[in-house]
Amino acid sequence: MKNNSIRKTLEKESAAGIVCTLPFTLGILLFILVPMGISLYYSLCDYNILSPPTFVGLDNYVEMFSDETFFKAIGVTFFYALISVPLRLVFALIVAMLLLRTTRITGFYRAAYYLPSIIGGSVAVSILWRRMFAVDGVVNNLLGLIGIDTRFAWLGDTRTAIWTLILLAVWQFGSSMLIFLSSLKQIPTTLYEAARVDGASRPYQFFHITLPLLTPTIFFNLVMQMIQGFLAFTQSYIITQGKPMNSTLFYTVYMYKQSFEFKHTGYGAALAWVMLVIVGIITWILFATKRFWVYEDGV
Amino acid sequence: MKKKQLLQKIVYHVVVCGIGLLMIYPLVWMIMSSFKPTDTIFTTAQSLIPETFTLENYVNGWKGFGKVGFGTFFLNSGFISVMATIGTVASSSIVAYGLSRCKFPGRRILFVFMLVSMMLPAQVLMIPQYLWYQKLGWVGTYLPLIVPFFFATQGFFVYLITNFIDGIPRDLDEAAKIDGCSYYMIFFRIILPLIVPALVTVCIFSFIWRWDDFLSALLYINESARYPVSLALKLFSDPASSSDYGAMFAMSTLSILPAMLIFIFFQKFLVEGISTSGLKG
Amino acid sequence: MKKQISLVLAGMMAMGMLSACDGNSGGTSGEATTETSDGAVSLTFSWWGNQVRNERTQAALDLYSEQNPGVTFDAQFAEYNDYWNKLATASAGNALPDIVQMDYSYLEQYASNGLLVDLTPYIENGTIKTDNVDQTILDSGKSGDGIYALCNGINAPAMFYNKTLLDENGITIKDNMTMDEFLDVCREVYEKTGYKTNLAYGSDAYIDYYCRAYDEIVYESDSLGVSESTLDAFYSLYEDGIKEGWLIDPSVFAEVTIGSVEQDPLVYNSSPDTASWCFLAYTNQYAATKSAAPEGMEIGITTWPSPDPTKSDYLKPSQFFAISSDSANPDEAAKVLDFITNSVECNNILLAERGVPINSSVSDAISENLTEEDREVITFIDEVVTPNCSTISPPAPTAASEVYNLNDLLIEQVCYGQITAADAAKQMLEEGNPMMAG
Repeated sequence: MKNNSIRKTLEKESAAGIVCTLPFTLGILLFILVPMGISLYYSLCDYNILSPPTFVGLDNYVEMFSDETFFKAIGVTFFYALISVPLRLVFALIVAMLLLRTTRITGFYRAAYYLPSIIGGSVAVSILWRRMFAVDGVVNNLLGLIGIDTRFAWLGDTRTAIWTLILLAVWQFGSSMLIFLSSLKQIPTTLYEAARVDGASRPYQFFHITLPLLTPTIFFNLVMQMIQGFLAFTQSYIITQGKPMNSTLFYTVYMYKQSFEFKHTGYGAALAWVMLVIVGIITWILFATKRFWVYEDGV
Repeated sequence: MKKKQLLQKIVYHVVVCGIGLLMIYPLVWMIMSSFKPTDTIFTTAQSLIPETFTLENYVNGWKGFGKVGFGTFFLNSGFISVMATIGTVASSSIVAYGLSRCKFPGRRILFVFMLVSMMLPAQVLMIPQYLWYQKLGWVGTYLPLIVPFFFATQGFFVYLITNFIDGIPRDLDEAAKIDGCSYYMIFFRIILPLIVPALVTVCIFSFIWRWDDFLSALLYINESARYPVSLALKLFSDPASSSDYGAMFAMSTLSILPAMLIFIFFQKFLVEGISTSGLKG
Repeated sequence: MKKQISLVLAGMMAMGMLSACDGNSGGTSGEATTETSDGAVSLTFSWWGNQVRNERTQAALDLYSEQNPGVTFDAQFAEYNDYWNKLATASAGNALPDIVQMDYSYLEQYASNGLLVDLTPYIENGTIKTDNVDQTILDSGKSGDGIYALCNGINAPAMFYNKTLLDENGITIKDNMTMDEFLDVCREVYEKTGYKTNLAYGSDAYIDYYCRAYDEIVYESDSLGVSESTLDAFYSLYEDGIKEGWLIDPSVFAEVTIGSVEQDPLVYNSSPDTASWCFLAYTNQYAATKSAAPEGMEIGITTWPSPDPTKSDYLKPSQFFAISSDSANPDEAAKVLDFITNSVECNNILLAERGVPINSSVSDAISENLTEEDREVITFIDEVVTPNCSTISPPAPTAASEVYNLNDLLIEQVCYGQITAADAAKQMLEEGNPMMAG
């Protein structure tokens, strides 16, 4: 009798929700909240890792206003994220469309296109990427083939160095592509069949069936890639280290340098929390625009 | 008509192959370099094909460091990645279902937390996390690298699956409810089979990300015999004295293989996912 | 349905397994020393380095365990940058390894924060024997009044150069070159061959080396102990080099890992306008540079240029070993340091890979087992550097790392023609002094 009533309670919608999300609730309490709390505390401290932190209030946050490099890094990061993310998504969508067809060879193609994303940010990537853009590297050689003879130093010029990192981000587009691919698979083929019977052209099908049904996925990718774009670290850290003249200094790299190289760990933590607020606002703006363009119901 | 189709096909393959070549060229360069004698890698960087072909880098690299061979590092990485992936898939899918299909108090907060937890750079959490895991007595073990993933701590995956479940028509749930299914049964019987493509994607990402992750391994693994590949790869270079780039390229090449195999194996399921889409609409 | 449940079960089983694993390996976690009931001691021993060092160090530790039953080691090694991150993190948790490899540039940070054990008592009571060790070498591990680290190899700044190229063009290099002599060579090489000069781009040490000629210490405890005129002269080297054409373009360094021997412009690039004829490095990088050089390039070794070579040059501890204050067994750790310093057997395994052993009788005893390059280095240190050098500048305080970064940026800006040398000198003082003051 008692068992039965427990069961009934558990089967209610709200109880089911709580039970299903319980792992995450515990995860937050156990693994996320505590470290976040400690880092928030550090952001209010003078802390150099090697000796215990001392509380200084909002000093670290005030210091940022007079820190030129901080503003420089913010500029670089905005530029990088706002350009690389849309480029990456467009490229990922195009490739996903290309590889949607199921022929024997697409499996191989997909693997080839996904390969760059597998190797991540290892030392090997940094070396080979720099080789590509070296004065005597592949990019200049290719330009030579089409008649542009140049020995331009792509990585050594403040105007172009950031673009090599943007290209790297586009090159490693695999995760967005895969997500597009799997949701393209979700679109019922019956819709296309019906459209074809009505004589709709390919572009018409794309803009009136594929794209609207894909908007939730586009939104998802956009939000995730924006967050990751603003927090990008590895590319700058392993390839350019912010050079030349801080023109590729990502915000997180600056934060990392402050925290570990200069041992201004409290200041580094404050930088991170400011970034959290910035990314939070951007995400919030994206969510606010959601209802204007994301097609959610009625599938 | 037939001619036109053939032409289309040819254009398609030429375009796809062409971009594909550009995509993998840098990797081909790395793989080719791994077969060059290590002291000629940079001096002959211009030419793709090795002048003298050697397997020495593979032999040297595979020896590993101290008493630990590279095979051990592969086993370690495999264990960590598989375990963390199992945890991620199992926990993220059920949590995503709860977030997507059930209304309950605190749902919004959880959702916001899922996003916020992604917004703090990993580098700034290094020390706080270390201190916390030390309190738990987990430093020096694989626990910090695996256990958190059983608690859906990667918001990315939860959100990804939530999105997928949102795309599944609710009529199916309603019908099942009328048949007397509880919320839990709906998850296992209806939702889970439908989100296979999403879960496959999660498996691929999770495996590869865990495989590439080295920051947590650096902090929490002390014993060299327990190092994963990502950490071991860095040991070939010592900026202060000499580095063995040949061995590093060789082992980097090998380290792509498992992830590649996982991808090729799982992407087939991605294709099969198409059969489920008939249920929609 | 069944499938899914089995998946979940598998997951739970895995968790069980993991906690079992944890139980077995409890001994190796976090905290440094563990002492078991029968008096056996396990020491954690950590260093950075490459494959060769990892193997040799491991073998030396095995030898110690063999000779001292009951003492075992948990060897932890990482890549240089990773090593310092890991060490800093561990120090936050008071879980530093028992014995840590230490670098001169980090010594002050760790010692002044009380993270290292003062070795003076162990030296005084003879646990660590230092009879055949030069006092200045011993003093290089000093911070305040205590000796916090024991040098494990002697090093000296050394300039490697493309001897083949210079010989072909009839240019000779002499040791202890002055700045003017060096600049003449730079210009001559550039005119005759087109090869350029890499003047220690990205090096933290060269500015200090240069300023020592004027008896100025750049990184003093709370401020920069350097005058604007000296800094002006220093940055002018770069300004003039770019104007006159012999200095390598800064963009070249965007394409390589700065500091990596294999990617230095001396050996890495083939065309003269991106290659350098010289490389300002340290003696322990000699063998690596030689093996990285393309076929047919002979490498010569000499001192770094300076306005006053004798005042500038110094013997440098290539690195140290230190005992952390988190160690529960510093006495045993001290014995290990003695073993590394004074055991011929041990050094026959290590073979001066970290630098020339500091115990002169040990370095004599192992010399016949050393490679040709190592012996050349010993001769260079003994005959060229030792007679013409001064004591090394005191270890730089924590705040210096931010000034290194500033100096890099200023040299970069001078080379890109963004600012003049005079501006750079001014900025260095204006921005650097507050950084040093903290």
